[in-house]
Amino acid sequence: MARYIARRVLWGVALLVIVSAVVFVLFYVFPSADPAKLRAGRTANPQLIEQIREQLHLDDPIYVQFWDYMKGVFLHFDFGRSFTSQADVRTIILDRLPATALLVAGSVVIWLMIGLPVGIISAVMRRSLLDRSTMIITLAFISAPVFWLGLVALYLFAQDVGLIHIFPGIGSYLSADTFLAKCESMLLPWMVLAAATAAIYARYLRSSMIDTMSEDYIRTARAKGLPERDVVLRHGVRSAITPIVTLLGLDVGLLLAGNAILTETVFNIPGVGQQIVLSIRRSDLPMIQGIVLFGAFFIIIFNLIVDILYAYLDPRVRYQ
Amino acid sequence: MRLKRFRLIVPVCALLALVFALSSCGDDDGGGGTTAGGATGIPDEFAAPTAAPDDAKKGGDLIVLQEGDIDYMDPGAAYYQVTYTLDFAMFRQLVSWQPDDTADPTPDLATGEPEISDDGKTITFTIQDGIRYAPPLNDRVVTSADIKYAIERTLLPGVPNGYTATYMADVEGLKEAQAAVKKDETTAPEWSGIETPDDQTIVFHLSKPSVEGVLGALSLPISSPVPEEYAKEFDAESPSTYGEHVAFTGPYMVENDSEGKLTGYSPGKEIKLVRNPSWDPDTDWRPAYVDTITVQEGFADPTSASKKILEGSSSISGDFPPSPTVVKEVAQGDKYDPSLMTATPSGGNRYVALNTTEPPFDDINVRKAVIANSDRVALRNTRGGELFGPVMNHFLPPLIPGFEEAGGLNAPEGLDFLQSPTGDPELAAEYMKKAGFESGKCEGSECSITMVGDDAAPGKDTATVFQDQLEQLGFEVNFQPVEHSLMYTKFCSVPSQQPDVCPNVGWIKDCNDPECFFDIPWYGPAINPSNNSNWARLDDPEVNKAIEDARLVTDPEERAQAYGDLDKLVTSKAGVVPWVWDNDVVVRSPDVAGVINLANAFYDLSYTSLKG
Repeated sequence: MARYIARRVLWGVALLVIVSAVVFVLFYVFPSADPAKLRAGRTANPQLIEQIREQLHLDDPIYVQFWDYMKGVFLHFDFGRSFTSQADVRTIILDRLPATALLVAGSVVIWLMIGLPVGIISAVMRRSLLDRSTMIITLAFISAPVFWLGLVALYLFAQDVGLIHIFPGIGSYLSADTFLAKCESMLLPWMVLAAATAAIYARYLRSSMIDTMSEDYIRTARAKGLPERDVVLRHGVRSAITPIVTLLGLDVGLLLAGNAILTETVFNIPGVGQQIVLSIRRSDLPMIQGIVLFGAFFIIIFNLIVDILYAYLDPRVRYQ
Repeated sequence: MRLKRFRLIVPVCALLALVFALSSCGDDDGGGGTTAGGATGIPDEFAAPTAAPDDAKKGGDLIVLQEGDIDYMDPGAAYYQVTYTLDFAMFRQLVSWQPDDTADPTPDLATGEPEISDDGKTITFTIQDGIRYAPPLNDRVVTSADIKYAIERTLLPGVPNGYTATYMADVEGLKEAQAAVKKDETTAPEWSGIETPDDQTIVFHLSKPSVEGVLGALSLPISSPVPEEYAKEFDAESPSTYGEHVAFTGPYMVENDSEGKLTGYSPGKEIKLVRNPSWDPDTDWRPAYVDTITVQEGFADPTSASKKILEGSSSISGDFPPSPTVVKEVAQGDKYDPSLMTATPSGGNRYVALNTTEPPFDDINVRKAVIANSDRVALRNTRGGELFGPVMNHFLPPLIPGFEEAGGLNAPEGLDFLQSPTGDPELAAEYMKKAGFESGKCEGSECSITMVGDDAAPGKDTATVFQDQLEQLGFEVNFQPVEHSLMYTKFCSVPSQQPDVCPNVGWIKDCNDPECFFDIPWYGPAINPSNNSNWARLDDPEVNKAIEDARLVTDPEERAQAYGDLDKLVTSKAGVVPWVWDNDVVVRSPDVAGVINLANAFYDLSYTSLKG
């Protein structure tokens, strides 16, 4: 197992380098606003633009820029400075990470608490009225875009702009001083972010459970006289949940990487997703690069965790 | 270009009198004047209050909601309008802007007006004694050498200032200082034309009597003092990290630690301002009512953010205008008090630039036809309607000297193609015939034109409406929507890549002097191979000469007349389709007594207070 983990970590590092290279190439190959020109302002003459280009090292060959960047990241954990605000990229990302982590953690709990029971019950009570109605509701949540759902939730339930003043509203995370207040400010975003994912998990688990419950070993377990609850939970769910764990690993990694952009934007949560939108709009390569690297790191880590979890969830899987 | 950036240069016209003449309408807070009425086109109920109420109270925490961030915390690099809103409260400059100043700034660090030599080539300021920096530099007294260093450091590439070299170009020794920077990019150069004979005196020696430009630059954050011994280690880095360790002199400061590192600024997230304990109110005219100011950023949806302000407390809007939905709701007065919203002329304008160097728009008759045909009211309405500004009829905006001389809110006399704001298709057809198109519509291969504009509302809406108007005249328009900054940096501001039409360009005041409205956007020799802001690419000898002549006029009235005439001349060249003189629209919570700084067209944080 240790050798397997070491090998995966090494691959992960290689993957991070490749991801960085791809971002560099994308930034240079595809049209993007010139950071030197943006920074020089509207009265800039060509000399000033050139001076800024030199100062930002944008005049260096792309491979030199890339090499310098990689050295900074891997030797000094230095992600450079923002082209626009000149702020330290690492500091900004680490400053924004807790908000994203809290958003993701809370919504994961909610979508698992809702999605898993709904999926199991629907599978067990297949074709019942309850099954059919929950599947229709889940389809509705999957179809609703997050930004729309977020705005509707705000205008219905937010304390500041809502019709019924129940939950803290837009930007309340910024005013929250304590951990509990931050959690309270996240209630609405958690539910909005969790809604579609819980629906997906419920449908996915239902489908997986239906397949599993028709397996021979389930019939054998029943024939041996095991109580139905044990058959479902110990034999059915344990096997059916493996693909859900894969999904979970990917989802958590992606959300920490900034995929909660829409939720963070609608509710003004100062997280990583919101920062990447700002950075892309300003052609701020160091910031984009830093966030992509952090994101790739999380995706790799969570995939590794998922693979290790497999071994414990499914006895058929053992890593040599 | 970027319409939320501006600079102010001391004008030479007595515009102040005009402003006071327009200030007859009292505001709801019982305070001083407002700016409203015919010259601005702003209805009285939305006029900007420019004085605090008589019973304004001290204390409280003010919240500013913003979509984006400031550009730079470093006053040497600051350039955005929203940044100046904070800078005016955090830094003391040689001269600065009181809320109702639009003509001349008020001495701030300076003890009084500058002494100008008879030949107009020497400017001398005396500064107050005993002004101290905020902690941790609270034992340090501001000297004239600090102001000299603050200006010199803006020549460093690590301090990206876009205007020092432009507006202080006539201060002696600039070229030598720039050459010194080329050799050593980490040390602020000696600028020989700036002298500090003692700790309270600073002298500027000019090679030409161009006092206005230099004085104007000194009314901006570059004249905020920077202690060299403290800042030079940060300036030695590239880029400078002084912005993370700024030394404050104004009534407010960003929270910092014992080393001076800012702890209250999270870029893109939040800025926390607290009172500067070193600030002495006896040396300043700012009342500084509120105790703290928190700028909360990231409010991407202007509708929900505006409602949060209007229905909440202690809040004002920052860099975003309220959405048209909210503007309508407030204006109707059913749900919200209309006085919670104010509009202020931003000193900017928006227009559609026609590339005058290539067919078909190298023919002035075609250009006049396009302008005559344009429904400029429809274009203006894509920004949100009347409150966002009157239809633009010439170049100088309201409250700028020369505006009235050029025609005020109306089109200059004799320019028939601008007389109908909703368009005159018959006149357009006549001009097309004059251009050789017998049918009155554009025909032939040269009528297939390219247009590059914004890919998001409201800019994209404007572009789409204009595309329809062009097609009515027979043009076949290939419209390429791109991201706003890309539109400038890759297309419209790069002459070699310039399309035929740029529908989303505009100019906001670099200064309150009319000179700043022509030297860059209309002066032929100023056309750059990149970052070009003469989007019509008009290089007309008659216009160029008129611009050069107007610069030399110093008498305020004559100068206003000269620039009014210049405005008419430029407008007659039909290089652009003018469609709005921008207003900045802002909202506040009911418990906020907001005061607008006319020079900046945003709330003045030092004068805004909380009620009760």
